[in-house]
Amino acid sequence: MTISKFARMAFSWLTVILFMLSAEVSARADEVLVSAAASLTDVLRDIGKAYQLKSKHKLALTLGPSNFLARQIDEGAPADIFFSADLAQMDLLEKNGRLEPGTRKNLLSNQLVVIVPANSKLSVASPKDLMKPEVKKIALADPAAVPVGVYTSKYLADEGLWDKLKPKIVPVLDVRATLASVESGNVEAGFVYKTDAAISQKVKTVFEVPIEKGPKITYPLAIVKESKKKEAARDFMNYVLGPAGKTAFKKYGFVVLD
Amino acid sequence: MLLRCRIPLANFELDIDVSFDARVTSIFGPSGAGKTTLLDAIAGLRPIADGEIEINGRTLYSSARGLNLSPQQRGLGYVPQEGALFPHLSVRKNILFGAERHRDIGNAEGISIDHVLEVLEIGKLLDRPVTELSGGEAQRVALARAILSRPQLLLLDEPLAALDIALKERILPYLGRVRDEFGIPMIYVTHNLTEVLTLADWVLMIQQGRLVTQGIPQEALRSAHTIMQIPDEQFENVFTATFIESDAKAGRTRVRLRSGTELFIPYLPQPANRSLQIRISADDILIGTRRPEGISAGNVIAGTVHGIELVDGQALVPVFAGEEFFVRLTSGAVTRLELKEGTPVFLIIKTRSFRVL
Amino acid sequence: MIFSVETWHITVFSLAVGLASTLVILPFGVALAWLFARRDWPLKSIVETIVLLPLVMPPVSTGLILLKIFGRRNPIGQWLYDRGIEVVFNWKGVLIAMAVMSFPLLVRSVRTSFSEVNPRLEQIAATLGASGLRIFFVITIPLAYKGIVAGALLAFSRALGEFGATILLAGNIPGRTQTLSLAIFNFVQTGKDPEAYVLLGITVTLAFVFVWCSEWLLRAGKRA
Repeated sequence: MTISKFARMAFSWLTVILFMLSAEVSARADEVLVSAAASLTDVLRDIGKAYQLKSKHKLALTLGPSNFLARQIDEGAPADIFFSADLAQMDLLEKNGRLEPGTRKNLLSNQLVVIVPANSKLSVASPKDLMKPEVKKIALADPAAVPVGVYTSKYLADEGLWDKLKPKIVPVLDVRATLASVESGNVEAGFVYKTDAAISQKVKTVFEVPIEKGPKITYPLAIVKESKKKEAARDFMNYVLGPAGKTAFKKYGFVVLD
Repeated sequence: MLLRCRIPLANFELDIDVSFDARVTSIFGPSGAGKTTLLDAIAGLRPIADGEIEINGRTLYSSARGLNLSPQQRGLGYVPQEGALFPHLSVRKNILFGAERHRDIGNAEGISIDHVLEVLEIGKLLDRPVTELSGGEAQRVALARAILSRPQLLLLDEPLAALDIALKERILPYLGRVRDEFGIPMIYVTHNLTEVLTLADWVLMIQQGRLVTQGIPQEALRSAHTIMQIPDEQFENVFTATFIESDAKAGRTRVRLRSGTELFIPYLPQPANRSLQIRISADDILIGTRRPEGISAGNVIAGTVHGIELVDGQALVPVFAGEEFFVRLTSGAVTRLELKEGTPVFLIIKTRSFRVL
Repeated sequence: MIFSVETWHITVFSLAVGLASTLVILPFGVALAWLFARRDWPLKSIVETIVLLPLVMPPVSTGLILLKIFGRRNPIGQWLYDRGIEVVFNWKGVLIAMAVMSFPLLVRSVRTSFSEVNPRLEQIAATLGASGLRIFFVITIPLAYKGIVAGALLAFSRALGEFGATILLAGNIPGRTQTLSLAIFNFVQTGKDPEAYVLLGITVTLAFVFVWCSEWLLRAGKRA
């Protein structure tokens, strides 16, 4: 087998594959694809189900870490709506001109809470209590990159506690990892959103950061500029922003901004 | 056949420039002399730096003309040292593998499959899986495979090297038959003198990648080079002899050499073909300056010392007694007996030291 | 019940696309492995390294590179898009991610098998007049096929377990591009552990079976 024979074979296979790739399933023209942060999975599913009963449009969700989603959209992935877990990702897309002007809404907010293992005997009633020696390790999603980590470090800095607590911080991958480490008892406490704490039975919330004092956590959503189904997207977005949507979000523990 | 090539190797350069025409040409030399490399080059399996290879007027390779035929196009039959039978195919599929070769490239005269099966006696092996063959059977199958691809030239790379002595003895005649029955010229690589003396019409002696001598085996091998190469190996004399009569009770058979000299060899029943090849090792012949008496040896022949080659404490002494007998002695013995060219001597050989092919 | 239709869908989808991706890379992998095992050529070591990269780089990095290549902003992605071929957020993206990530495993495995075929056999076949293609299909492949199948099984297992590149290139769309790995991620993220464990059980079982078969074939091949 010479190299030229290989090249020829490779070329013909490449053609076959391109042919395969072009075989398209029937186009679902009116399906709105929402790219949303993983923490919004359940609430969006509920909203989506209700929406599709009323509307002729269909809905599809793609879920993941907000930074991955933003990256995809930046590279031209065909999402119609982007629903992020923090402002930074949305700002990035806005800066790169990927958003449909005028459609961005800062819809939701969340509340930062301190959790401890459900069977913990420690008395932690405020962030200051975290300085106690019995609290050896505190789990927090990567304070350099993940929204909840960024928000928390900023809040603690504003309270003058960051420098003292930093040595105790154990950075983990994300919110789910935070929950898991607190559940396991490997750490004595952790910081998550109120909506996240609700997921787990094995942790208890000991402190809710007051909304006025807490960081401005915002979940923005917007229509993607290159979307081909802007009308359907607008229709869904209106539903989300309407009473039905707001009720659902509140039910899951989100704070709805007006 | 015209062979000229230059191949760079690890420690030296293989540099050959020969031209010869013979039924069986042997390439003789110690291991590492470059013999397998040479065969690979002739077969087109190895790049040559510079040279020319021509067989029967057909050029296989020419650096001057930028010609380099692929192995497929060279029309050669290669029997490698390990046989290299295809382990996943049956014996039948193996030997027929090259049988479809294009007429122009292969040997124009058809060779029938049955003939080959008969000569090499592998007919009953046809449907056996290759992995169940014995060493000797595998070699014969490899030979059949090469022959049935109708080559213009057979290349054999030490085909008997992997076999034990008894097996070597059994397979050697088959090679002789191949030479006689199929008329395909052979290039036969070996470091075993007996094979050269038995099969070859012409020998090329290679050492360190260079041709040191070539010629008719019986003459070309009479040199210091030969002795240097085979200090501990068998050096055998090979003669053609005619059967005269056998004596079962005495345990011996009388034969006559071409020169008329008569010898006693171990008993064998009257063979169908009265022509035999007999062998006697150069180490098994004694030299006496006087006719001995009261000894057990059955053969005492008068002759004359024809030369003395001394190398490293060994002496190779060709003695002419109707035919040339090579005798290997210690140099001490040569000195003690004061042997010189022309000294009349007696060759003393035990009947039982002779071997028949 | 946890063993729902959805579970079935996800499993079948993962198996189907995994199988397709393995079939797609098979001819390329075998051909490239042969070139690696039997030939030397300029830039060979560079190509070897590139082929190895998806194996050693974090899958997310590979996914990013794939996204860059197939996204609309890039000439290749643009070219495909103009012809109506979409890869991102599509089963095709899943296939590509799986193919790229499992390719190095296939090539390594097959290359080893080819190296273990005695080159003398191929040489003798050539002297007997067999063309390159005939040698390849009648001598080399039959003697190496156990290793090839083992490599394909290994690649298939890897494809099934693929996550990082898949989520970046194809997205995590339930019912459309969600594989077993992505579904497990989803369930874990939303605290639905029991569902996650079910899928995890399926994934581990499948991986175990395929890898075990792969190893068995390799051992059987050596005994032959």
